[in-house]
Amino acid sequence: MTRRKAVRKPRSTLTPWLLLIVFFVAELLVFSWCRVQYVQTGYDIDQVKQERRQLIALHHELQVEEARLRSPERIRRLAQKRGLVMPDSSHVVVLP
Amino acid sequence: MKDYRKKKPDATKWIRFRIVVVATILTLCFGVIIGRAVQLQVLEQSELSERAAGEYKKAFHNMPRRGTIYDQNYAELAVSIDVSSICAYPKRISSPKQTTSLLARALNLKQGPILKKLSSDKGFVWIKRHAKPNQVSAVRKLKLDGVDFVTESRRFYPMKTLAAQVIGFCGTDGKGLEGLEYYYDPFLSGQESRWTVFKDALGRSFDVEAVALPEIKDGCNVILTIDKNIQHIAEQALSETVETFSAESGVAVVMVPETGAVLAIAHVPRFNPNTFGQYEPWVRRNRAITDSFEPGSTFKIFLAAAALESGLCTPDSRFECEEGRYKIGNNVVHDVHAYGALSLRDILKYSSNIGATKIGEKIGSAYFCDKIRAFGFGTRTGVDCPGESPGSVLPHEHWSDMDAMAICFGQGISMSALQLAVAVCATANDGVLMKPYLVQAMTDRQGRLVKSFRPTRLRRVISIETARILARMLERVVAKGGTGLKAAVRGYRVAGKTGTAQKVDPEARGYARNKHTAVFAGFVPARDPAVVILVVIDEPKKHHYGGVVAAPVFRQIAQESLQYLKIPPELATPQEETGGSVRASVEATWTG
Repeated sequence: MTRRKAVRKPRSTLTPWLLLIVFFVAELLVFSWCRVQYVQTGYDIDQVKQERRQLIALHHELQVEEARLRSPERIRRLAQKRGLVMPDSSHVVVLP
Repeated sequence: MKDYRKKKPDATKWIRFRIVVVATILTLCFGVIIGRAVQLQVLEQSELSERAAGEYKKAFHNMPRRGTIYDQNYAELAVSIDVSSICAYPKRISSPKQTTSLLARALNLKQGPILKKLSSDKGFVWIKRHAKPNQVSAVRKLKLDGVDFVTESRRFYPMKTLAAQVIGFCGTDGKGLEGLEYYYDPFLSGQESRWTVFKDALGRSFDVEAVALPEIKDGCNVILTIDKNIQHIAEQALSETVETFSAESGVAVVMVPETGAVLAIAHVPRFNPNTFGQYEPWVRRNRAITDSFEPGSTFKIFLAAAALESGLCTPDSRFECEEGRYKIGNNVVHDVHAYGALSLRDILKYSSNIGATKIGEKIGSAYFCDKIRAFGFGTRTGVDCPGESPGSVLPHEHWSDMDAMAICFGQGISMSALQLAVAVCATANDGVLMKPYLVQAMTDRQGRLVKSFRPTRLRRVISIETARILARMLERVVAKGGTGLKAAVRGYRVAGKTGTAQKVDPEARGYARNKHTAVFAGFVPARDPAVVILVVIDEPKKHHYGGVVAAPVFRQIAQESLQYLKIPPELATPQEETGGSVRASVEATWTG
């Protein structure tokens, strides 16, 4: 009986290289994706900040409008149009 | 071989020559490249770095928000809002004429000035500061190269004319120019800040730098002692009277005697600080503080106070009033009505000049002058407002006989309306003089207290007894037969004094015959004063007496202010009070 000599196939050197390349490509893609997300988030933050600034400005404008509408001169004018008068002391009822 | 040997040196030479030529060219090329590299990387490095940074960095310049000015109930009197200004970069504009034409049409401006700006060598020019929203959107739609928009802060006064002379106004650059805006400018205007963000090729900025932004230090908010409703009441009443009597102008001051807080300073004519450029400087000035006038008979309050305080007179001390004509040297003092002997309280009630002169003679110039100065006349009150006038009080050593006589009834002495109001406050405040103030607190943007101002007691001027006796005497001025009857307020006791002063004519170097100042100063309720009100009407026509012109303004302001302040009427019916001077006051109250 002849003993068969085990013939070892030469191990391919391609696989580790392929794995390394895939790893690097994947890393590159992940890095790029992160970078894109990073920049996109930067845009989003900037946009939200801009919106915030606009809303604050609008809030101020509305405050001014409210103050203008509450001006005593305007209220007196409106009251006079509706026939209202300033009460005098005879209209005052002092509760005990 | 010979031929070869002969040819070889020539070929070698040629090859060497070519090598040298190529090497030289390459060396030169490399030299140029290296030279250029040195130039770019070493010599011009900083400039080029800056230029590169300019391409991808965007600088933000944040102007701090100017603090808001509130009334005592936190109603906004002056606020800052964001507005867009239109600017241009002339070097980036390829066709200035076309751009000018489009801009002029959109902004409704003349072409000349715009073209001049766009054709200039400047890097940056303003086209329209604080443009209206419709103008901004019209220019935005044009999408012009080299035209940009800058967000700026603009001061806005939502109550328009209300307390305009007190608050003042700001210029285009946001700096306070007059009034409290000027006085408190260091507190109202904060500290500006700058920061940088990156931008991409499309000019979009993105905030990726994890660098903390510089803290924006906005200006402090200022909370006044002014009450917008009382201010409006005073302005309304004053405005109606100035119109009725065709007066030149008018001033009214409302104060809390106990604290010295100013509730209102009203001026007529009024002005709108949103468009301050349209008004003359004298209209924009806080005349209640900057201008002085002769107080006329209202000054008898302080003469009476000095007389009582000296111990030489009592309310019943009698003085002969010479039937309306009293000659001292070459000068003659007149009364409006002829009186015989009058008591001190009646001299005040009927406002007798002759009686006042005789009181002055009795207490002496030196004592009277000291008391005048103790009341704060001749010195600034120290109110937190710019341009305060100290008024004019000569040292008694310089008083002539004429001066000594005239000062007793409020001529030959001048004061600001605020000074007079503060002195009346001392009378109403049991003789204690308080420092007037207009700002009660300052807060930061979040509303946290930064600084508060408390009432400041200056000094005691007269005793409590004198002050209270004086108040009773002043109640009689507003009673039946008194000169200030028209100041009576239904349901309340009123103490006050009328004044009518001739104005000085600078051309004639004397008093003008037809120019008067009508004044009324008083406080209400007389026995527990809540407010001191001073009214000054300048050059009224038709009538000129303080009791006719100024007293009704006092009544209107007092009546409406007391309702607003929820101070209940103290006199329920006329029958509840009987006897003495109180009865007279009550009658007047119900007839007034």
